Amino acid sequence: MKIIKVGLALVVTVSLVYFLNTSHNFGSPIPPLGKFLSPFQGFWQNAQTSSQNSETLSIPGLKDKVTIVYDSALIPHIYANHDEDLFLAQGYITAKNRLWQMEFQTHAAGGRISEVIGKAALDFDRTQRRLGMGYAAEVSVKSMESNPTAKLMVDSYTQGINAYIQSLDESSLPIEYKLLGYEPEPWTNLKSAYLLKYMAKTLNTGERDLEMTNALKLFGKETIELLFPDNEGVADPIVDRTNQWGFKPTTLDSVQLAVPQQLVNIMPFEKSPPDVGSNNWAVGGSKTASGSPILCNDPHLELNLPSIWYIIHLSGPGINSMGASLPGSPSIISGFNDSIAWGVTNAQRDLVDWFKIEFKDNAKKEYKLDGSWVAAKKRVEEIKVKGAPIFYDTVTYTHQGPIVFDSSFHGANEKSHFAYRWIAHDPSEEVMTFYKLNRAKNHADYMEALNHYSSPAQNFVFACVNGDIAMRIQGKYPVRRKNEGKFILDGTKSSSDWQAFIPSDQNVMDKNPARGFVSSANQFPADATYPYYVQASNWEAYRNRRINQVLRELNKCTPQDLMNLQLDNFNLKASESLPTFLTNLDSTSFTGDALEAYKILKAWDYKNEIDSEGASYYEAWIRAFVPMVWDEFSNDKVALPWPSTYLTIKLMKEQPALAFFDIKSTPEKETVKEVIQKSFADAVEVIAKWKKEKNANPRWASYKDAVVNHLLKQKAFSYNIEHGGNSSIVNAHSKTHGPSWRMVVSLEKAGINAWGVYPGGQSGNPGSPYYNNLLNLWTQGKYVKFTFTSESEKMKGKELAIITLKPASK
Amino acid sequence: MKFIIQIIATIIVCFLLQSFLPWWTLAVGASAVAYFIDNNALPSFVAGFIGAALLWIGMAYYLDQATHSIITEKVNKLLPLNAFLLTGIVGGMVGGLSALTGTFLRSK
Repeated sequence: MKIIKVGLALVVTVSLVYFLNTSHNFGSPIPPLGKFLSPFQGFWQNAQTSSQNSETLSIPGLKDKVTIVYDSALIPHIYANHDEDLFLAQGYITAKNRLWQMEFQTHAAGGRISEVIGKAALDFDRTQRRLGMGYAAEVSVKSMESNPTAKLMVDSYTQGINAYIQSLDESSLPIEYKLLGYEPEPWTNLKSAYLLKYMAKTLNTGERDLEMTNALKLFGKETIELLFPDNEGVADPIVDRTNQWGFKPTTLDSVQLAVPQQLVNIMPFEKSPPDVGSNNWAVGGSKTASGSPILCNDPHLELNLPSIWYIIHLSGPGINSMGASLPGSPSIISGFNDSIAWGVTNAQRDLVDWFKIEFKDNAKKEYKLDGSWVAAKKRVEEIKVKGAPIFYDTVTYTHQGPIVFDSSFHGANEKSHFAYRWIAHDPSEEVMTFYKLNRAKNHADYMEALNHYSSPAQNFVFACVNGDIAMRIQGKYPVRRKNEGKFILDGTKSSSDWQAFIPSDQNVMDKNPARGFVSSANQFPADATYPYYVQASNWEAYRNRRINQVLRELNKCTPQDLMNLQLDNFNLKASESLPTFLTNLDSTSFTGDALEAYKILKAWDYKNEIDSEGASYYEAWIRAFVPMVWDEFSNDKVALPWPSTYLTIKLMKEQPALAFFDIKSTPEKETVKEVIQKSFADAVEVIAKWKKEKNANPRWASYKDAVVNHLLKQKAFSYNIEHGGNSSIVNAHSKTHGPSWRMVVSLEKAGINAWGVYPGGQSGNPGSPYYNNLLNLWTQGKYVKFTFTSESEKMKGKELAIITLKPASK
Repeated sequence: MKFIIQIIATIIVCFLLQSFLPWWTLAVGASAVAYFIDNNALPSFVAGFIGAALLWIGMAYYLDQATHSIITEKVNKLLPLNAFLLTGIVGGMVGGLSALTGTFLRSK
């Protein structure tokens, strides 16, 4: 009897403990509840106050003492006596604040999310792998490690992260590990390479070659030329040096093959949304109040928590630099030092192509090239899946790149195969660019640093305390023949391959232009006399013109004036389209909602401020108008591209009777006028419905309903925010995307003055007051004035805490 | 009296164990206390439950107050029950069942 009782009680108790020590999934995932709820090691332990402990830690591998001073915004100022120690400390302190995010983002880059959250992520993981992210990162880490300086840098950085990981115990694990029931693994150099490929994927995947191929087949060459021109002739290019390029360009002997005539039955993977972009500019001393240059940068990305950026100050031998770093990658990406400042925007250029491949048979072991069969390579991707067996995915590679889609993945049939050629698959050493930029003293150093940079192509803005300003559109670009890269390419002939690359010194660049400023906002890069064919799917049309218009007019400008420009909410798109909309609108019969909308729109000042109702009505209207115009391009059988909004508005004004304005689904023949009338009615209905649902007025911030999501889309760790702006506006804040980092640097001879902010916080821990301390500043349009000194003693009185790292005695 | 002693002993022993060892030593502590105190089955279960629940809630409350509820507010949005209540129930169930096991082991 006793044995039965004891046995039963024991079994029940042990089962309960076991149950509470493991994660489960009953429809929604459940953390290991005992572990998670225990106040001795669970989530309760992640709660922190704003005070930070000063501490001295012994770190193996360190050469000398390193002092890390946290300032009041939890920005670490690292003072080290050796390069190795500096990067080790950067790795350590970044991991201390952002470990979970760093690992999660590299897991995402490498297609390893299924390992953490299960089957639901398998398709995402397979996409990452089949785009060759793993292949690209492996190539990249090889070239990183073959350069002694780069190797030293990434090795030390990795060592620092691992020193932090080793210091963790159950209670100090970041909360996300506790929630999902897993633990961090050792960091590797490969993970740092993954992170840079993750950025490359975000910034390079706006291409639409498959969609354009379908459009060409369905609508013909003339329509394509009208609706998808190489250059929409919007306004100033980034660099205008008409007839002054002065070099002999590389030319190709072979002529590009005829464009393909076929429909591609593949639904392409999700693209980077058009609100990924950026602004940067540098204003020369002739236009500033101080007489010194001012440089500004705001990269637009998806806004997440923890933020993609981490502010850090690195001070050591030959380096004193500060700015935004990417957690997971050494050095500073957008920042300044004692002599120069630099910033980045995406260059947009088409660096992705799809080559149509002819395989001998379904085994896909050989493919046709110049009339003979060539062996393809196979790469087996092993994908661990939480709660399920390992998934093995075999990906075929030709010399161009991986076959992303086949019968096992999103491909409808075995007839069409396309190899994915992407510049990020090529060896490159971006880490050296940032190593050198962080230490650069002048324009020559900046140019030398950029020579190491290939991908993802960026517009690098530059300013120096000596007064120089510059712009260079740096990347590794294939020399293109006309139309090359817009459509799928013939992979059976080596003549359609990328034959040569533009020599780095022939890239688009400019120094101290006569207009007194340089600027870029993802627009077309160069004037018509630039000797290379330049092509992309999504040149920016509005922000760039607004920025240049304001910069041209500014004189004796101050950092505050340029902060105001970063926060500028003027909707140029609306100012160019709404008057035409309204004059074409027959408002005589309007009553009720329609009349109210009409009145609000007529009175609107084209500014997307938090309280503007006009901005909401305009947004609803243009969102109804554009799809109504391009109904011909909504096809559920094949993927098609849409012409740009800029071109749509231009056609509306210049060719109101164009056949595309006819709405296919109605028997009547519509022109622009009818489409405007109908889309207005739709927009009024949308807003009326919204008002009823929300029981509120459609203020722009309410209607936009912006959110800064936690990386796991976990609502409890996310924030809804109210902020002005929109995509295509200088303050490019849409529902989920926007200025992920705002920086303003005044390069005065007496010393640098710099400000910056991002929508997040220095700590990645949702239980820390520093999780969102910068988010509130950002939302209000405020900046942090940086404390920037190369002497740690001068930080006295400004510190929140001091962390001293000492070499561990062996 | 034994009932009160078991509650207090459970709190002290489990506090010490969990300060250094994994959370499930809560079960080890609660059953050991019950074994030595030798209560009847039902009071033992209840005492184990109350001891463990009080310890967990008390400790959680201490951390929560020291940090102005910064994490509790957020985690409350992701749990089906209030975080304190759930913590008490989970801790209490483990404490109670372990105590019962300890008591059965002792009884003849």
